[in-house]
Amino acid sequence: MKRRHTCDIVVVGAGPAGLSAGQAAAEKGLDVVVVDANSHPGGQYYMQPLGAGSAFATSAQVMRGKARVRSAKAAGAKILLATEVWGAFPGFVLHARDPDGAVCIEAKSIIVATGAHDRVQAFPGWTLPGVMTPGAAQRLAKTSGVPPGRRTVLAGSGPFLLPVAGAILKAGGTLVEVVEARSSLLPMLPLLAVHPDKWPEALRLLVPVLAARIRLRFGDVVVAAAGEERVREVELAPLDADGRPDLARRRVVSDIDSLLVGFGFQPQIELTAVLGCRHHFDDDAGGWCCTVERDCGATDMSGVYAAGEVCGVSGAVPAALSGRIAGLAAAGQLLDEETVSERRTLARRLQRTRGFARGLNRLFMPPDGLIGLLSDETIICRCEDVTAGEIRGEIAGGMDTIHGVKLWTRAGMGPCQARVCGWSLARLVAEETGNSMEEIGFSRPRMPLRPVPLNVVRDSLQQMDG
Amino acid sequence: MRRLRITIDGVSLDVPPGTTVAAAMIEAGRIVIHRSIRLEHPRGMFCGMGICFACLLTVNGRPDVRACLTEVTDGMVVETYRS
Repeated sequence: MKRRHTCDIVVVGAGPAGLSAGQAAAEKGLDVVVVDANSHPGGQYYMQPLGAGSAFATSAQVMRGKARVRSAKAAGAKILLATEVWGAFPGFVLHARDPDGAVCIEAKSIIVATGAHDRVQAFPGWTLPGVMTPGAAQRLAKTSGVPPGRRTVLAGSGPFLLPVAGAILKAGGTLVEVVEARSSLLPMLPLLAVHPDKWPEALRLLVPVLAARIRLRFGDVVVAAAGEERVREVELAPLDADGRPDLARRRVVSDIDSLLVGFGFQPQIELTAVLGCRHHFDDDAGGWCCTVERDCGATDMSGVYAAGEVCGVSGAVPAALSGRIAGLAAAGQLLDEETVSERRTLARRLQRTRGFARGLNRLFMPPDGLIGLLSDETIICRCEDVTAGEIRGEIAGGMDTIHGVKLWTRAGMGPCQARVCGWSLARLVAEETGNSMEEIGFSRPRMPLRPVPLNVVRDSLQQMDG
Repeated sequence: MRRLRITIDGVSLDVPPGTTVAAAMIEAGRIVIHRSIRLEHPRGMFCGMGICFACLLTVNGRPDVRACLTEVTDGMVVETYRS
């Protein structure tokens, strides 16, 4: 297996954006390598079942994903799987790890298409085994055909709860209740009215859930999860007029073995952050996003482009469009070739298709009042076991940014590098200080971006010198 | 359907091919994977996509393998913190 690759453009992430970017650049005749940490390409949106006999194997999404991969390969892009980037240096040199050890990729340009992950908010009991993100349940179903438990409650907010519910049902799971924090879906109607192209998909997602006659509750949130050694019951409460959980009207759903809670997605910005790119906070796009020029996908670091969810959570169609824009732009720049007119047309389409997702993000924000649920004993940083009380203590002592809290409590310093706790940390600081999310900042990632064994680091650095 | 045989902390389990280690463990009800660093609270899989590092196991003698990203193979030896 080749340990060192030299190419024109390296694309990080083989989801909709990465595959699209890789294909566009390869079509221009350039040497393109696409890397992905997963053993199968497709990212989250096109995630592939591991077993050929899976109930999901012939779904339209899976088939479309396979077609995208074929197109990228046919154009000449090389896809490296199970290859996880942990470091990036000017030049550019990307350090990655695959099952056999260190992999080094040298490229003139980088296109970061690292996607997004579930956005989580901490609550009492959220660290119990059996409590997971909605995305985790979707992955269990789609990759392995397995439900997250025997009796599941699915909660949080946002349209993503629908396909997760569908996937769980398809994998044979029982959904005891689906709980959406929004009290009414009527505000969606004006948005849907101007995007009729979304109606077939909306129906396709709604029908299995309605047909299964699952108990749907609107306007409720998870207050706490309880159980010894694993989750056994969940406490829920309605949101009052101020958006705060009304604990006087709390209720318990017992006899469950899995609880899924999520609030949409959050861009995965570690690589662009470590490369020094500029980021901005966008409430309508999942929080902190990598800043790019819309018609070329260029970040403010020369030779670094970004595409897809990492630039703002917008869905698969915008991801593919922005991927193609970045691929064309990166290729055009290296070839000194004009690609402006095609990119402008794509950028206009991108603008239109993004509007729907942004509208949805705006409607389904995590309720502000959830922070009040955190007792001092509630764990915020799972990796380092840092509690809300410890964090509140440091804020009271003068820390008013994520960075300050991180330095004094270690929150965000564990293996997940605040991917999981970052949103809760920021909301906690915001609640206690009144600072804006921009002022609070995001946890700055450090290399290695993923934990790697020391021998891999040694091998990688030797490859750099050699 | 062909089933694979794996062991988890010495206990044998028959699992269908095409599943992740995490999926196999969840199906078998063995969801406590490790205990947290300071407070030793029970922890299981959380994100399911390899970014939270809550599901680390020793697989075939190799430590710190993410159960959610690893496909089961025949004869696989899985060890949690209990081993």
